[in-house]
Amino acid sequence: MTDDPILIFESVVKRYGDLTALDGVSLTLRRGEVVCLIGPSGSGKSTLLRCANALDPVDEGRIRFDGHEVKSTESSVRLVRQRMGMVFQNFELFPHLTVLRNITIGPTTVLKLGHAAADERAKKLLAKVGLSDKALSYPSALSGGQQQRVAIARALAMEPALMLFDEPTSALDPETIGEVLSVMKTLADEGMTMLVVTHEMDFARRVADRVAVFDKGRVIEEGAPQEIFTNARVARTRDFLSHLGWHGEGAASVSKREEA
Amino acid sequence: MSFDWSIVWSSLPRLLEGAWMTIWLACVTMLLAIPGGLVLALLRLSRIRALAMAATGFVEFFRATPLILQIYWVYYVLPAYFDVQLSQIATAVTGLVCNISAFNSETFRSGIVSIRQGQWNAAYALGMTPANVFLRIVAPQALMRVLPALASTWVSLFKDTSLVSIIAVAELSYVSLQIRAETYRILEVLTAMAALYWLMGYPQAKLVDWIHHRFKVAE
Ligand SMILES: Nc1ncnc2c1ncn2[C@@H]1O[C@H](COP(=O)(O)OP(=O)(O)OP(=O)(O)O)[C@@H](O)[C@H]1O
Ligand SMILES: [Mg+2]
Repeated sequence: MTDDPILIFESVVKRYGDLTALDGVSLTLRRGEVVCLIGPSGSGKSTLLRCANALDPVDEGRIRFDGHEVKSTESSVRLVRQRMGMVFQNFELFPHLTVLRNITIGPTTVLKLGHAAADERAKKLLAKVGLSDKALSYPSALSGGQQQRVAIARALAMEPALMLFDEPTSALDPETIGEVLSVMKTLADEGMTMLVVTHEMDFARRVADRVAVFDKGRVIEEGAPQEIFTNARVARTRDFLSHLGWHGEGAASVSKREEA
Repeated sequence: MSFDWSIVWSSLPRLLEGAWMTIWLACVTMLLAIPGGLVLALLRLSRIRALAMAATGFVEFFRATPLILQIYWVYYVLPAYFDVQLSQIATAVTGLVCNISAFNSETFRSGIVSIRQGQWNAAYALGMTPANVFLRIVAPQALMRVLPALASTWVSLFKDTSLVSIIAVAELSYVSLQIRAETYRILEVLTAMAALYWLMGYPQAKLVDWIHHRFKVAE
């Protein structure tokens, strides 16, 4: 991690009609940093990620990525998106394309990489996520965990400077969550800058450099995982964590199972 | 009452010419009505209100009025009031294309909107241009979903081409009715006409069944 900021949200406001989904969010990601976003349903976490690469335009405030303002109205937004990988809760693989083509479609159409080079890149990434044997399968033939690993490979194929993850494991069966988290952990260890919305508190605790807590469209608390998980200053944070079944270190997995 | 099937044999070349015109009309109409329907669908989905409303008006007019009226309209009203003079075949194709485009546009539109926002977002998130997102991600998936509906439209179109006989386009119905008028062999001629329509239509109907079965929405 360096002190060099790569993604900066400055007082970002986003409204849907009367509803204020983001109510003045300021947050900075430094190069190589892993930041986990946690917070209750509907608090605006997904909206923040969609604003980060201008899938949704912001109403007020600014977002800066690598020194340039992210604006949905400009065609330069595509340059921003190329360099920001995004992973979705529902994978969103392209069902009409094979696993290999899912991964090469970005490099070939956007980066204008030749087919041979794109295939080679895709195969390396498939090996990295442990799915070399699935290159010619269609997404529907894969388990959720496998699909999500392909989705990660698809994003990585653009060689992004930053990865956005929106609850990448919350649509998965419990037994496949681990394989996805371990791919993400590997990425983090390799120094990838990551902004991860997650309810996997164990992952946040072990992998995140910082945790930001969201509530009602605002960051209500931000700090190192240890601080947040053992020593939250804000009452809403403590409520939220206990609601998730987090009663301090080690107790998490047990109480989570009880809740389910 | 005696039957004289020799009439059918002696008229067969003309009947086959009519059948050929029927096939030609259906094919040309569909070839034009697929891009036509796509354009109308995209206009209806466009964010420019005026365009969307104009397309909606067009589609709803052609869907809600009888084809036979539309053909008459193109045949009589365009030349009389708008100084547009089309040949009979051009008139027939114009009427059919407007009508089938309207139906296709609804088919395409339902296919496009059935592709969830997440697919668009995933493609945009890779940095793809809107055109590429549509052509490479949304359209192929939408097409798979609407193929059965498109095939059904084709089968109706094939039979509806008979309506252009009212403006004397020499397709199968018109030719058959002409021969009937010349020979008074009603039963023989109508039987031959039915047989020809059936021979052409039955394989298509079977193909459509297969398409329905093969492309049933599976996700
Ligand atoms: N496209 C949209 N149109 C209208 N309202 C929206 C839209 N997207 C999100 N919202 C609303 O904005 C608020 C924030 O939604 P968002 O999806 O960002 O929350 P979230 O923190 O990701 O929640 P979850 O944990 O359930 O995914 C919610 O009230 C949601 O209903
Ligand atoms: Mg969300």
